Amino acid sequence: MIESVFILLAPIIGALLYGFERIVKARMQNRMGPPLLQPFYDMFKLMQKRLYLIHAPHALFALLHFITLWMVVAFIILGDNLLYSIFLHLLATIFLIMAGFSVRSAYSHMGANRELLALLAYEPILILMAVGLYLYTGSFNISMIRTFSSSLPQLLLLFLSLALIIPVKLKKSPFDATSAHQEIVGGVEIEYSSWMFEFLYMAKCLEYVFVYLLVALFAGNSLSLALLLVATVFLMVNLVDNSTARVKIQDLMKMVLGFGLILSIMNIVGLYFV
Amino acid sequence: MFSFKWFKKKSPWILHYNAGSCNGCDIEILACLSPKYDLERFGVINCGNPKQADIFLVTGPVTYRSRERLIQLYTQIPEPKVVIAVGSCACTGGIFRSMYNVEDGIDRYIPVDVYTPGCASSPELIMDAVIQAVDIFEHKNQQLQSAKKLYRQPVFEQGRFCVSNVAKSLKDKDE
Ligand code: SF4
Repeated sequence: MIESVFILLAPIIGALLYGFERIVKARMQNRMGPPLLQPFYDMFKLMQKRLYLIHAPHALFALLHFITLWMVVAFIILGDNLLYSIFLHLLATIFLIMAGFSVRSAYSHMGANRELLALLAYEPILILMAVGLYLYTGSFNISMIRTFSSSLPQLLLLFLSLALIIPVKLKKSPFDATSAHQEIVGGVEIEYSSWMFEFLYMAKCLEYVFVYLLVALFAGNSLSLALLLVATVFLMVNLVDNSTARVKIQDLMKMVLGFGLILSIMNIVGLYFV
Repeated sequence: MFSFKWFKKKSPWILHYNAGSCNGCDIEILACLSPKYDLERFGVINCGNPKQADIFLVTGPVTYRSRERLIQLYTQIPEPKVVIAVGSCACTGGIFRSMYNVEDGIDRYIPVDVYTPGCASSPELIMDAVIQAVDIFEHKNQQLQSAKKLYRQPVFEQGRFCVSNVAKSLKDKDE
């Protein structure tokens, strides 16, 4: 019962998180920042704008991206298979990439290319994270993982590599080359306008929910530890976002694949032998 | 009925275009977004994408090279949209007036809603212009919505609600 409420409200929770994040970021820079409900103001404004539709598949891909992401979040909340959720999330990203390649804008193609490269960098780490959790709990089932005690001490390195890919997923510096606003004008989202863009906006909010649900998985059955982990990661990600500059997409791949993969593999090998 | 009125007003997204300015006014616009003036507290985002923008901030006298892009960018912004001319040269040509390679001001090419004087225009003035632009945006939106209701079909023609009308009706409302 409570799960279905959470699933229905997931985009709204994500939007609130995003609004809160914008305030936190502003306060870190000694600014006031926009109101908490700013994402909702944006959404309602976008609904009133005129729509420029490029072609039907382009719009459909945005819709599919949003719906698939919502399903991913739903599966994680319901406690379904973790590996399955991660692959479904991969499908959602593929839809976005196809949307980017389906129009003729050069920026859109470049954004889709970068999205693909970023996918290559972070996807192995997500899968290794699932493997690590499997080795610890003996199951890919999320409801099963949630019954165990916290896996943080054993899977600390995997947790760190997950924290490393969060900026890639949420498009934050230093790893925001996929949607670099001053450079390729948002990448794949460039050709969307009005309420079609709203789906991408809401998908971005769902991405927040997805990432922080993954973070909470490491806390096992302790809710307070989950909240603590989410709060810490949230603050750290924003601190890093505020204090670093964007790196090139090649460096993004090197850093994420280099550090993340090595940390994850070390952790898994360690688990195997200890 | 549920009204979107309170929502639209709070989320103006800005597109900033340099039509051959000396960079003085651009720096002032960026200063507006910096911690000291913090334009973001009004919900402003400096989005580089015309398809998602509401307010078009233009600096500089229009050089021959930039005028096509100016019109392209203007037409790519979905209605309702508001144009702000920032700085003397965007308003009238400023110190570049009647030079051989510039048009005098952007209103030769696109309708302008708010003029911001000064060389360079100060951040306070630009903020004031943006706040006014939000009001004009709201007004244009209402006109679009009522027109849509009247004819039962979208009437989103380019430049249908020209500047002078809006400015006049706003002035009438004030008086
Ligand atoms: S108004 Fe003055 S400061 Fe502004 S762009 Fe023109 S010349 Fe430069």
